[in-house]
Amino acid sequence: MNPQNESAGGPQERRIADLTILYEVSRALQNTLNEEVVLYTILVGVTHGRGLGFNRAFLLLIDPAGQALEGRLAIGPSSPEEASVIWQELRDQHRSLGELLQQVPLIAIKRDLRVNQIVEQFRVPLSDPQHPLPQMVRSHTPCLVTGGAVSPRGLPIDAHTLGLLGTADFAAAPLFLADHDIGLLLADNAITRAPIEADSLRLLQIYAQAASTAIQNAALYRQLTERITECERANRVLRESQRQLLHAERLSTIGKMAALLAHEIRTPLVSIGGFARKLLRTTEEGDPRREELTIIAEETGRIELMIGEVLGYSKAAKLELEDTDINALLRSVLAALNETLQRASVRLVFGLDPSLPPALVDKFQLRQALINLITNAVDAMPGGGSLTVTTASDRDFLEIGIADTGIGIAQEHWDKLFAPFFTTKSSGTGLGLAIVSQIIENHKGSLRFESAPGQGASFHIRLARRPGIAAHDVVVPAETQR
Amino acid sequence: MKTILIVDDDRNICRLYQEELEAEGYHIALAANGREALDLVSREMPDLILMDVRMPEMDGLEAMARLLRKHGGVPVLLNTAYSSYQDNFLTWAAEGYLIKSSDLGPMKKKIREILAA
Repeated sequence: MNPQNESAGGPQERRIADLTILYEVSRALQNTLNEEVVLYTILVGVTHGRGLGFNRAFLLLIDPAGQALEGRLAIGPSSPEEASVIWQELRDQHRSLGELLQQVPLIAIKRDLRVNQIVEQFRVPLSDPQHPLPQMVRSHTPCLVTGGAVSPRGLPIDAHTLGLLGTADFAAAPLFLADHDIGLLLADNAITRAPIEADSLRLLQIYAQAASTAIQNAALYRQLTERITECERANRVLRESQRQLLHAERLSTIGKMAALLAHEIRTPLVSIGGFARKLLRTTEEGDPRREELTIIAEETGRIELMIGEVLGYSKAAKLELEDTDINALLRSVLAALNETLQRASVRLVFGLDPSLPPALVDKFQLRQALINLITNAVDAMPGGGSLTVTTASDRDFLEIGIADTGIGIAQEHWDKLFAPFFTTKSSGTGLGLAIVSQIIENHKGSLRFESAPGQGASFHIRLARRPGIAAHDVVVPAETQR
Repeated sequence: MKTILIVDDDRNICRLYQEELEAEGYHIALAANGREALDLVSREMPDLILMDVRMPEMDGLEAMARLLRKHGGVPVLLNTAYSSYQDNFLTWAAEGYLIKSSDLGPMKKKIREILAA
């Protein structure tokens, strides 16, 4: 920015001016912990006319791995023409260094400047013992380069560095805290070709100390933020798994209670139903009590069946896998439910793949799952409708589809659909779909559904043709996956 | 006439089984738990024992284990509301394992099979 220092006067005034610069920059640096803003603020201080007044400044920092010195950010015009435009603008705005520095967090940091294309090309491995730049960092002493060599000792600067900078004269101040090396601050007057004074170098050194602290603080702050984010994420994961654990525990408690209750109910049911059957047998044909006794016997049988379901659900069943013709299984289930389908005026539509290969499944369990899905479908069509049963297969999987044209499933029920004891029916155990879900899970298969209110629902069971393939691995829309 | 010893702590179950099995032509003896069953066996010399599992004082599995040790040959048919006992290897020593049901048909059939053997 403006290299033409407005400082002047005697040594006393000069010292006050220097202190003012350091104060302004320090204050600006204290206001932020954003690494980018800190770096930019440092560079503005080095190049501003009321700051250190260099033409250009480059920040090279040691990478997080501690392997190399890398160019990070630079500031300054690329030509005398550009320089005069920028400096005129700044003069017109009459902004003090303090005012300008306050603006830094608000302005977009210009990475497309030519100086930033230059700085990005700096990458010097610290392991290179010959390279002058890492040596400058390690020396912890500022130096002045004139005519392409460090003065006055004469350590030559490599041609690559000089070529990148486009000048043979610059000042270099190492950035470090105690014995911890941070990087290197380079400053030059490549545009005005003004010589760099010893006082400027001395001030740059003091300035570099403040800059080192600010860079280190910002880096620590960034690391801290990253760690905190990491901790928060871990905490979230932990909370979620704790929630799932509690849920599972609750389910298992409910399951145990249900099992206990079911067993306790079984015994009196045997007496009720057993005596009803006995009386039925000994009551003469034509006696009106026969009908009532039939009701007692049948209803008892129904409760016993439900209890069997609850216990089947509560107990993690062992799978008895055998090669099964799924089409035949579906046909036999539908034949068994034929009367139910007819009574409900449900029309059957078949879309069975005739070349469906056999699948290794527990026939008894899968049969139960299909009965539950089909019964649900029928219940969802109180006014009748059509039930579409499909099968399909590919190399690894086969799929069974059960679709109805019924009332559909309201979206608010989607996430509870497979939870045990959840039901929208006036009568029902709320275990039907939970059992289906458990059975499909036992088979390492996947179950998904699609539905819209009034448009029916369709359930798709996906099973591996051979063990060892989990259908879970297949991507299906998250909201319907189960 | 074959004798069946019914062991169950539920009086209604005992009564139902007794009436139904007597109608099938068996002689019936009753015990309310495993300990009573042990006392009765030497007196009644049953041809078959229909044994509940969960009972106070002495459960059916323990009673069966003691019975088999003492009177090796008596067939025991376990009859319980619980399917979970099947995991207990002791139940393998029984002639059969029946889940309690109000439909006594399967039980009667199993008894006929065991007694015919």
